[in-house]
Amino acid sequence: MNGIGFALPEIFMLVAALVVLLVDLFLRQHSRILTYMLTQAALLAAALLVYGNFADGPARQVVGDMYMHDYLSSLLKVMALLLTCVIVVYGRKYWSDHQEAPGEFYVLVLFTVLGMMLMVSSTHLIVLYLGLELMSLSLYALVSLLRDDSRATEAAMKYFILGALASGMLLYGISILYGLTGSLELLAIAEILSHEGSAETVPLLLALVFLIAGLGFKLGVVPFHMWVPDVYQGAPTAVTALIASIPKLATLALLVRLLVSGLGNITSDWAQILMVLGMLSIMLGNLVAIAQMNLKRMLAYSAIAHMGFILLGISTQTMDGNSAALFYALVYVVMSVGGFGVLILLGQAGIDAETLYDLKGLNKRSPWFAFMMLLLLFSMAGIPPLAGFHAKLLVINAVLQAGHLVLAVGMVIMSVIGAFYYLRAIKMMYFDEPDDSTPLKWDLEFGLTLSLNGVWVLVIGLMPSFLMTVCVRALDAKHLL
Amino acid sequence: MSFEAWLFYLFALLLISSAIGVVVVRNTVYAALLLILAFFNSAALWLLLQAEFLSIVLVLVYVGAVMVLFLFIIMMLNLKVEQVKREGGKYFPFSLVVLFLLIVELIIMLQSSLFDKVITTSDTTKNIDNTAAIGLLLYKEYLFPFEVAAVILLVAIIAAIMLTLRRRGDVKTQDIEQQIQVQSSERIRLIKLPSGRQGS
Amino acid sequence: MISLTHYLTLAAILFAVSIAGIVLNRKNILLILMCIELMLLSVNLNFVAFSHYLNNLHGQIFVFFILTVAAAEAAIGLAILVVFFRNKRSIQVQDLDEMKG
Repeated sequence: MNGIGFALPEIFMLVAALVVLLVDLFLRQHSRILTYMLTQAALLAAALLVYGNFADGPARQVVGDMYMHDYLSSLLKVMALLLTCVIVVYGRKYWSDHQEAPGEFYVLVLFTVLGMMLMVSSTHLIVLYLGLELMSLSLYALVSLLRDDSRATEAAMKYFILGALASGMLLYGISILYGLTGSLELLAIAEILSHEGSAETVPLLLALVFLIAGLGFKLGVVPFHMWVPDVYQGAPTAVTALIASIPKLATLALLVRLLVSGLGNITSDWAQILMVLGMLSIMLGNLVAIAQMNLKRMLAYSAIAHMGFILLGISTQTMDGNSAALFYALVYVVMSVGGFGVLILLGQAGIDAETLYDLKGLNKRSPWFAFMMLLLLFSMAGIPPLAGFHAKLLVINAVLQAGHLVLAVGMVIMSVIGAFYYLRAIKMMYFDEPDDSTPLKWDLEFGLTLSLNGVWVLVIGLMPSFLMTVCVRALDAKHLL
Repeated sequence: MSFEAWLFYLFALLLISSAIGVVVVRNTVYAALLLILAFFNSAALWLLLQAEFLSIVLVLVYVGAVMVLFLFIIMMLNLKVEQVKREGGKYFPFSLVVLFLLIVELIIMLQSSLFDKVITTSDTTKNIDNTAAIGLLLYKEYLFPFEVAAVILLVAIIAAIMLTLRRRGDVKTQDIEQQIQVQSSERIRLIKLPSGRQGS
Repeated sequence: MISLTHYLTLAAILFAVSIAGIVLNRKNILLILMCIELMLLSVNLNFVAFSHYLNNLHGQIFVFFILTVAAAEAAIGLAILVVFFRNKRSIQVQDLDEMKG
């Protein structure tokens, strides 16, 4: 095992998760705060470890060529770990509203992130599959954490069935890829396929279709999106925030590794498929979101639309398009976690806030958090000068550069239509009277985190160049594979 | 046809018919048993492909553990034979057509000349048996994923216990600790009875 | 002579049947879980066949891992099913309908 030291953050996360699991076992209900603090410490320490060994040079394959140490994986890991800290802060308020403190929440969150970390830095299809399953299995369990809630268990059941179906399709695609090349390593596969001149063969196309279908399910794009609204709605809000962020980052990395670096030089068929899926997602997501009065479902459909933008970015097959997609993903996950954070803020003892009506008169109840939500929603709608605007602009620009004028026009039109439902939510916050004027409760930590989350969108919006440079570096050919 | 080909067709036929059986039978217990049959048949096919270790693992792990778990759940939930509401009936012919097309498409795509290889009995692995070869590979080259698989099993344990364990208040159970700590003085009370002679 | 194509065709039929079982199923969720096992079986058959014909053991290692994960997946799936049953007193597919819109 040469270079096992590179996998130190993963090893650390595993040990930390086991420690949290054991400590939690011996804690009484009222001292569960220790579990929470250990979890936060573990996440922050892991983020520091990744940051301390940030892969800035050329990419390296270590641990028996199964582990990729490159800029993209380091970037996504730091992002996911910090974001999970934020989600765990929200999660604590959520569970205290429910008068429950399930220690399993923290343990399973740690395992989810561990799975994601394995996924983003794997170049071997077995490790990739195992990371994916570790993440998915933890998420299925997390969704059904509210055992007595019939909607949560229904959501878990749907998520499980469709997730397993997606894994099956992915595996079928992988098996054909293996049959064609006799290797399970992405680099070797790319090499063998490009040498043999067997490119564009029918079986390769078949493998590609199955791979894209599997990834499409995990990402939740049309026509594989059926589970998204139900799972977003049924899952506990803290878990929804997790589902809306960590798997998206991981699947994006998978798309880049499998399609762009793996099969990018051999076949470009996937680009057309992604283009169709992406455009359909943008259209369906934005149009159906208008009809939703449930805020969680609305965010789910808007997630489908956002994923469409990311797919279109990658489908351009250009450096600009890829880095725009990465930028979009990094901005999107922060926005959506913030949105669910506000929903958790609005929740009260035992009652989850989930409809648009719960937003009514938020400005009267708490002007500051109403402003935060305003920033987040404006950013999702793509209104300047917020981060979401730059994300949309970059992707549309890349699509234009690649010469797809019709697509770009469609994206602009759909964004304008999509702005409607975000603005409707904002109108309710500012111009409607609150149905329920119980004062909001939050502690300092929650308030600070949520504020940071909202302000981040503004800061990135005002100074996008830093994040852009990072994204360009991450997908630079020098730093990738 | 050679003997091997006969065996292949026999097991393949049984495998497909039991798989179709799983999908169409109404009784869940039958479906589970048919699934077991399907596993046995594919274990036999894997033997034909000289994957002895996996074939025995399939029987041990799948039939021995996973399917028993399925049957256990079926018994626990006490499912009756389904009174199927034929809601999907009107789509049924349409779905059959789709299924047929899917199969035909897959088969046509897999007829590629790339896959048209016949059995190569080259014997680089012949001097070492299948189980040992897999073991060597697994514990040397694939140590890293092997550890990850262990973590996955741990997550499955945690999740399954977390979801199904509940402490019910209304169940009477033994508390062994309490039982063995009991003192004789708590159980036997010596009372002084007045002797019976007094009265008479 | 039995060639690789024979095995691949067999796996493809198995895969299609299991997908059909999942998509067309109007009965209970337990059957869907069984179809998922069947689907993984067809993928495994693919891997074992390729592994034999390529004379390369990596495919068999992949099968080993898929078997492990499938067992874990079955455990979690059945646990979720039990919780679902406790809440709804049913495991009919048509009871997966509380959320719509």
